[in-house]
Amino acid sequence: MNAIFAIVFFASAVLFLFTNPNGFLAAMLSGGEKAATLSLSLLAVYCVWLGFFKVMEQSGLSGKLAGGVYPLAKRLFRSNDREGVYLASCNLSANFLGLPGAPTPLGVKAVKRFTDAGNHYAADMLFVLNATSLQLLPTTVIALRLAAGSASAADIFLPTLISTLFCTLLGGILVSLTRSRK
Amino acid sequence: MKYVALVIPLLFLALFAYALFKKVKLYDCFTAGIKEAAPLVLSLFPYLAAILILSELFEQSGLSGYLTAFLAPAFRALGIPPEISKLVLLKPFSGSGSTALLSEILSAYGADSYIARCACVAYGSSETVFYILAVYFAGIGKRRIRPVLISLFAGFASVVLGCFLCRFL
Repeated sequence: MNAIFAIVFFASAVLFLFTNPNGFLAAMLSGGEKAATLSLSLLAVYCVWLGFFKVMEQSGLSGKLAGGVYPLAKRLFRSNDREGVYLASCNLSANFLGLPGAPTPLGVKAVKRFTDAGNHYAADMLFVLNATSLQLLPTTVIALRLAAGSASAADIFLPTLISTLFCTLLGGILVSLTRSRK
Repeated sequence: MKYVALVIPLLFLALFAYALFKKVKLYDCFTAGIKEAAPLVLSLFPYLAAILILSELFEQSGLSGYLTAFLAPAFRALGIPPEISKLVLLKPFSGSGSTALLSEILSAYGADSYIARCACVAYGSSETVFYILAVYFAGIGKRRIRPVLISLFAGFASVVLGCFLCRFL
């Protein structure tokens, strides 16, 4: 990450020097502004979903669900940490259903747990599965197509599902193949 | 499509009813959950800010534009229409940016055109990788490059597949 940061930073800064020196600080400030607004909306999302998940935890529902998915998800993440595996599988199901904002707090907690336990494989796997996003219904896309006057907005469903499924599988397989070189 | 909207309210209703049945103190419990929200956001903030500043520099400096122009011929060879190459490159960096770009493409070429459908698949098949990187791996060392490369590669491969599928699906 440090290398990427340095390379992109220097390349863009040099470009700014030649093309538009005034734009440099403006661009950085607008990045900061985006971070501030994004954090606020993340905070709003976390309030709702962390409250929701706490209720789920205390009602004993998450324990039951965890028992159900644990045997399968344990293999996927190669981890024996019940709590972490449970958080990760909740994160994946929330992604799949496309619940806006719900996957993030779960994923963040799960990655933290996996990393603290030294299980980088599980953290990598969860990250890749999130970044390749398996989503059942591309709700945003369908809404945008409707707004643009599409005759059959939902017909994008099948090609999107196939390619996102392919993307997720490929990512997962690559993670498990490259694991040994650690 | 109408039934999809019912999922979330029903989910909340079912859970809260179940919790009441289990004699959970709803208010106390819900607030206890929210208590974790602010520390979580605070711990993410520095990484989020650094990555967003960087991606803003990347885009506004014109670097992303040069990269798009440079890569367009290669994209064409793989069956990706050049009109959507900017979207393909932007998608890993900026969620809101690519949403805006997608709706531009939809109105420019018509929502049911081949180009627009390719754009939709490219948009829907992967996530904003660097945003997820910023949030999920916040504060976790520098060695986490491999999963990012894997995600980017898988995302790109799925765009190629998606553009191919759009020809006949």
